[in-house]
Amino acid sequence: MADDIVFELLHSEIINYALEPKSTNGSKEVDLSVVEYIGFAAGYKIMERLTREWPRFKDELDTMKFICTDFWTCIYKKQIDNLRTNHQGVYVLQDNAFRFLTNFSNGHQYLEYAPRYVAYTCGLIRGGLANLCINSIVTAEVQSMPSCKFHIHVQRT
Amino acid sequence: MAVCVAVIGKDNSPLYIGGIGNDTSTDNELSRQWLVHTALDALEERLATTNSNNATASANAARTDLRDLYLGLLYSTDTHKIYGYVTNTKIKLVLVTSSTSPSGSNIRDAEVRTALRRLHALYADAICNPFHLPGDQIISQKFDRQVKSLMVNNV
Repeated sequence: MADDIVFELLHSEIINYALEPKSTNGSKEVDLSVVEYIGFAAGYKIMERLTREWPRFKDELDTMKFICTDFWTCIYKKQIDNLRTNHQGVYVLQDNAFRFLTNFSNGHQYLEYAPRYVAYTCGLIRGGLANLCINSIVTAEVQSMPSCKFHIHVQRT
Repeated sequence: MAVCVAVIGKDNSPLYIGGIGNDTSTDNELSRQWLVHTALDALEERLATTNSNNATASANAARTDLRDLYLGLLYSTDTHKIYGYVTNTKIKLVLVTSSTSPSGSNIRDAEVRTALRRLHALYADAICNPFHLPGDQIISQKFDRQVKSLMVNNV
């Protein structure tokens, strides 16, 4: 669908733009923090809108279920396929057909570039949770595309 | 009628306080802040009982009621009634109505609920403004205008 592809193209262009070699320092290190921050700001703002019609969350797990269902559906048109937790603040969200990866690979080709395409989503989850008063660290793991795992470590104070 | 509307942030800092009317006790910023400030304790008390009741798994009907974002009448003074609403993101919305004005004595709960839900919608739009930084005061004139018209028309 045309309106979906616009988002995907914009996303991949932002990544290309963020990774453009800076003439000043000339380092070849890949810096994805800009992309992650864009995701954080977007997640923070969209959360206010998405939770408007939602009753108050009972606990952290309830919040994570919301992320897996409604939040994910809103952005990626599908739900998370698997949610695991150790009940001590670690949650693993598995998406078997992650939208940003399905387009270009099915297997190991381009595997080394995969981290670029999950940074935005890590920020998005982190921003959304931050607005719900849950501080977290979100990392992603891609073993075989197009499936992807997001690890959420909730920081308790 | 509604005389004052306030948006309070996660850390209890005022993000927006707006009021209308020529009532002497609400026509200046300071007295509005004072009115809203007195409501915060009642608001947090209400939230705390919500959480503890959920933990002890009280009756189902009661729980669904407590999970409502709208918290109802927080308390009333001789001249004003103060209603509260807390979003999932811990933003507190407070609406103050005057109970002395002729139309103020018979405000229905449902009307206040609708007004606060619309205020929440306006707030969600306001923070999507790219010039607004989360946690800052809302200085958008559009938001101000919309809130004032909400206060005139709704309650």
